[in-house]
Amino acid sequence: MNQLNNGFTIFLSLLVEAMPFLLLGVLFSSLLLFFVDERKLVEKMPKNPLLGALVGSMIGFFFPVCECGNVPVARRFLIQGVPTPVAIGFLLAAPTINPIVIWSTWTAFRDQPEIVVLRVVFSLAIATIIGYAFSFQKDLNPIVQPAIARYMKFNPPAQPQTKRRGKRYQVQQEATVPNLLQSGTYILGGKAGIPLRIDPNLVPPTLISTSDKPLADKLRLVVDNSIQELRELGGVMILGSAIAAAIQVLAPRELILSLGAGPISSIVVMLILAVVVSICSTVDSFFALSFASTFSSGSLLAFLVFGPMIDIKSVGLMLSIFKPKTIFYLFALAAQLTFLFTLFLNLHVF
Amino acid sequence: MANKNPKSKIPNLSLPWLDALAITAWGILMLRYWLTNKLNLLIHPNYFWLVIVTGISFIIIGLFKMQELWQRRRRDVTPNTQHISLFPPGWGSALLLTTAILGFIITPQVFASDKALQRGVTTDLLGSTRVKPQAFRVTVRPEERSLVDWVRTVNVYPEPDAYTGQKVKVQGFVIHPPDIGKEYLFLARFVLTCCAADAYPVGLPVKLPNNQEPYSPDTWLEVEGQMVTENLAGKRQLTIAATSLKKIPQPQNPYSY
Repeated sequence: MNQLNNGFTIFLSLLVEAMPFLLLGVLFSSLLLFFVDERKLVEKMPKNPLLGALVGSMIGFFFPVCECGNVPVARRFLIQGVPTPVAIGFLLAAPTINPIVIWSTWTAFRDQPEIVVLRVVFSLAIATIIGYAFSFQKDLNPIVQPAIARYMKFNPPAQPQTKRRGKRYQVQQEATVPNLLQSGTYILGGKAGIPLRIDPNLVPPTLISTSDKPLADKLRLVVDNSIQELRELGGVMILGSAIAAAIQVLAPRELILSLGAGPISSIVVMLILAVVVSICSTVDSFFALSFASTFSSGSLLAFLVFGPMIDIKSVGLMLSIFKPKTIFYLFALAAQLTFLFTLFLNLHVF
Repeated sequence: MANKNPKSKIPNLSLPWLDALAITAWGILMLRYWLTNKLNLLIHPNYFWLVIVTGISFIIIGLFKMQELWQRRRRDVTPNTQHISLFPPGWGSALLLTTAILGFIITPQVFASDKALQRGVTTDLLGSTRVKPQAFRVTVRPEERSLVDWVRTVNVYPEPDAYTGQKVKVQGFVIHPPDIGKEYLFLARFVLTCCAADAYPVGLPVKLPNNQEPYSPDTWLEVEGQMVTENLAGKRQLTIAATSLKKIPQPQNPYSY
């Protein structure tokens, strides 16, 4: 009984501590969904694959979304003709490289600042490497879902040379935007500024940037979207916190200690937990925190770096963009790189 | 986009109410912890303001949504925007609401000796690696150091003999670890860095004038005495040789930071 009450106290404390960050993340991502014009951002993406992957990994700083918000955004990016490395870099790093997540990680690991710094560094490095690796895949057909491939085939994304035509062309292009967007569901991503109508079956209406509605409507949409994400992510967070509390209270101490102390076993356990526990990246540091006294720092980092990239929940979401094979490659690459980096840390290689 | 699917009409109408209710309930729960002084059992005081602001925001969002739903109740426009989701409709909110209700019913508990023992007294307490010398003050007179101050000081300079003869006056709760003798007990406190999930116990062994019988686990004590070095569990260990042990009520805020 006492055990149960201890577990419940841990569970509640995780939730109470995490709720503020969840709310902040959800409000931000809802606001950005309605107030930021992605088209402007898309135009500025660098074409160099390595630089693109790095920039893509860092856009999260302006799009504080966690791993449930980033998949739809990455998908819009791909459809709007953003180079693959940028989109992949964004997909993998955005849930971690953003101010809210960094703040919540800092809150949780105040007495181990190296965890906060290395979480950012490792995530950036891994996302950039994988984004760069995907730049060698010139033809997107084999890796994305047929619906997206078809869409992109018939509506080819902007060619690189359209970017290099100088200022005058861009001004002209922007000037045409208001006209084209009157009815809301057009995006500008086609050849030489030809507007495209988004297939409503391909992109759910809520996922389209709606930057041309009156403010009152926008605010209502922000609240609605926030509530929606709160209940989704809140639900997942409750399950995740329950698992963390249960492991802390119920798992035999000897088992946890022996697994947590081994430089390799601890990382493997945490990688598996990262996949199974699809807790939102804005609050996952609190989950990791409950293992801080027993598990190696490397393994905590493995959870914090790998978790936001791929977990059960985001696999479901990613299937809306990629074919299963691609997700498997992403998954394997990310897991291996995370394992290597954190193992180096555990073995004090650097 | 009016979603006019007659089959899903009833859940469509009640689900938004469930959402709004769940969020409002969480707001009230968070403010309630604050107003009933239970928040310090859950999280570090640095983050109280975050919880308070969030509680208020939840209530505002929830009430805003309810007011909107109330105004729209006659009209058949439920802007049920389809979202990629993990749960069947209503589950997320149902979970949130259930947890909030449980939170209203069950009071959070102060961690006690069983939890400390589970966390491993001998490995953690007798050689605590996690306590860092935050706000370390050298000028503090020995008898003014708290239990946590002592553990931090010892972590900086671990040689027990260096403290021999220094006066001690500390408060904490009693633990009876299985592997130290009957004439000793462990005086401990929990330290929070962020929230109850990372609470870890720190403390020092106390050498008793008689035996540990009168002091059952979880009793709060104020111990006065002198520092000595003892051999405990095969290790030289800084120990408080108690001259006076006074039972005290559990402090208002049982945790240290």
